[in-house]
Amino acid sequence: MAVRTRAYEADAAAEAALDTRLVGIGTWLALAADIFFFAAWWFAFFYLRALNNNQAWKAQGVGPPSKGYGAVVLVLALATAVAYFLGSRPASGTFLFRLLTPVALVLGLATCLFQGYELWHLGFGLTDGGYPSVFAGLSSAWVIQFGLATAWLASIVTQAGPAGDTIARRRPASSFAWILLFLAATGIVNYFLLYFVA
Amino acid sequence: MVVPEHVSERRLSIPNNAITGILLAIPGYFAGVWLGTLFGLNDDQNTGVILGYVFATVAFLAGVGFLNYPLERLFGWRVSPLTDPDENRGVGRFFRLSLDHKVIGLQYLVTILIMLLFGGIGAMMIRTSLLVPDSSITPSGNYISLIGLHSVMMIFITSAVIVGPFGNYLVPLMIGARRMAFPRLEALSFWVVPPAAVILAAATFWGGFPTGWTGYPPLSEQASQAMDSYIVGFALIAVALVTSAINMLATIIGLRAPGMTWTRLPIFVWGIFTTSILGLLAAPVLAAALFMLTLDRTTQTSFFLASNGGSNYLWENLFWFFGHPEVYIFILPAFGIIMEIVPHFARKPLWGYRTGVVGLFGVMLLSFFVWQHHLFVSGIAPVLRPFYMLSTELISIPTGIIFLVTLGTLWRARVWFTVPMLFCMGFLFNFLIGGVSGVYLSDVPTDVTLHGSYFSMAHFHYTIMGGEIFALMAAAYYWLPKMTGKMLSPTIGRIHFWWMFIAFNSTFFPLFIVGLLNMPRRVSSYDPALVGLNRWVTVSAYFLFGSMVLFAANLIYSWFFVARPALANPWHARSLEWQVPTPVPARNFERVPLVVAGPYDYGIPNARPVADLGGMVGATGGG
Repeated sequence: MAVRTRAYEADAAAEAALDTRLVGIGTWLALAADIFFFAAWWFAFFYLRALNNNQAWKAQGVGPPSKGYGAVVLVLALATAVAYFLGSRPASGTFLFRLLTPVALVLGLATCLFQGYELWHLGFGLTDGGYPSVFAGLSSAWVIQFGLATAWLASIVTQAGPAGDTIARRRPASSFAWILLFLAATGIVNYFLLYFVA
Repeated sequence: MVVPEHVSERRLSIPNNAITGILLAIPGYFAGVWLGTLFGLNDDQNTGVILGYVFATVAFLAGVGFLNYPLERLFGWRVSPLTDPDENRGVGRFFRLSLDHKVIGLQYLVTILIMLLFGGIGAMMIRTSLLVPDSSITPSGNYISLIGLHSVMMIFITSAVIVGPFGNYLVPLMIGARRMAFPRLEALSFWVVPPAAVILAAATFWGGFPTGWTGYPPLSEQASQAMDSYIVGFALIAVALVTSAINMLATIIGLRAPGMTWTRLPIFVWGIFTTSILGLLAAPVLAAALFMLTLDRTTQTSFFLASNGGSNYLWENLFWFFGHPEVYIFILPAFGIIMEIVPHFARKPLWGYRTGVVGLFGVMLLSFFVWQHHLFVSGIAPVLRPFYMLSTELISIPTGIIFLVTLGTLWRARVWFTVPMLFCMGFLFNFLIGGVSGVYLSDVPTDVTLHGSYFSMAHFHYTIMGGEIFALMAAAYYWLPKMTGKMLSPTIGRIHFWWMFIAFNSTFFPLFIVGLLNMPRRVSSYDPALVGLNRWVTVSAYFLFGSMVLFAANLIYSWFFVARPALANPWHARSLEWQVPTPVPARNFERVPLVVAGPYDYGIPNARPVADLGGMVGATGGG
């Protein structure tokens, strides 16, 4: 409460603390919304798989794409999230932050490119049943979000100069790590479902 | 915020306003259509139309100024600070990207009223068609398109009609904050609504869509490009719901003034809080379902195509997982309004404040466990029916609690029957009928009989129009003096109330009867024996529309012809929003208010003023 009082009185330090708090709250709320977004896809996966309408969940010869390739995408996503997480912790110095955030950005771009390539070369047609539909839809929804997160990550990197917004607001910027970690965790669930459970 | 030195002062130089947005949206649409046609996997134009709408919306938002902030960040330029409200005066601010919650509230108000006009005209066209028992006035295909446009437009409106204008304007004032937590998100939640309405209206150019507001496949998969308007329009409303929810929740959690404890929070704010939780969690499911439908229509996937491994029940489950909480998104803020206004005019403390909050949370939680009652007649597994019947019936308990709190507040009170209070009374009467008829519909045998009839239609109009819109009117007469600085004419207001109340009941109560007599909804022809009742309803509906015209006339008359300035606190209310001057200062409070008492301590001897405002206006004591 004292923080809010001082922030109101135009205390810069208190204002920064309030900024951090609000961004943190907003991040967790956004993640709550995103959990429900992906839960809808996971529901679709189990529902269509269980119904197997017209025996068309997977048509003859349709199966998951290469598990190894999927694992590469997943590892890249995890590496992106971990690199940013480690660099953005409040305990990490500015040097480490400036070192690891561009690394995370490169890894994030690679994740999107690899996932995009996989979607373009699935090995089955989108009209080949329920599983191809869920695979294409869930992977597309995931990579779109990961792409948007990577674009935001790019803006964090471009603002990481001596006078940039990122450095001025390091603590709020660290909340973004939870978005990347969440997307990476979602990627693990998706990988498990789409490549093994299916 | 610490603004660092030695950063680039470059800025995007496009003048940002709604006109620029419209000018950019037009080429944006054609660019999207061109790209979709170039890369679309089918030759049915759906990809092009959807991309056209998406590109047009993004271009519109760019023209309004929403891309400035992300692009400034991306290019490494100096990031624009949140707009200083002091620099943002004049009428032009309503046509620009404003980060002032008061401007956004008024932008919402005017936009929603315009949309309400179009939705209402649609309703009049529907009722006119039903003057005769055959399809001679409106052909069947056009009739179902009209139903679809009216229903979706009204759903768009009612999603935002309270949270948009009143939530945005009042929540910071009521909790003692100077701003919202995320003003850009707040503005975005507004600026996607006009494109959603325009895109929905564009469906008429494609002949309209045949699915009503529920968009059930396989009809929605086979429909013309008008269905793409439904998809993109609804997706934009989902964006509005989520962004608004994040902003509202973060504001209420993080920006309450010192002393504004959870138990002193005005009950209207609790209504917004619970509504926002619903919007936050339900709208993403709709977004996912719409994405699936988009893929089915553009890339020939088969999420909802049973012959190819999909299922139309998947859509029904996902849609109603959103759709039922959606109706509580309509009504929870209305409950908040009623419980907020009644104590002020009963001049008594809100009876059972904490119980009322529990009631709001009870409705909010249960609303996630009832969606399959919409599938009772769709062939769901019979074993699931009892659970969903009971969970739906259970919702009547927290709703009853909210009624009990309101009636307990009125008990032995010396009520001031002002215009807002009249609308609160109208709400209680109407919503009681709507709620009780809903209990019948939650019962499986009754629902199987009545689901496709006008009984169901009368039920939800009693809850939405008789409930939410009456609460909207109560809120308008109560808070518009603070928001606009002008008092509305109480004489016209009283005429408006009685006119609307009588016309509303005269319109919708007979529909219970025609429903019981098996008149099906969504069909333009009916048993000629019911023509008398239908003509009565149609004439009543015209009167109902007339009452809304009278409301609009009252606004125009009171704002432009009489212009009677509103006092800072014309109702002698205790809550915080009434303790600031009218018009509300740009930064709301000169210094942080220290809240020292609850907002409903009326009639309590030696009650403390609600807050220490540092001598701004002075808080009222117990009245």
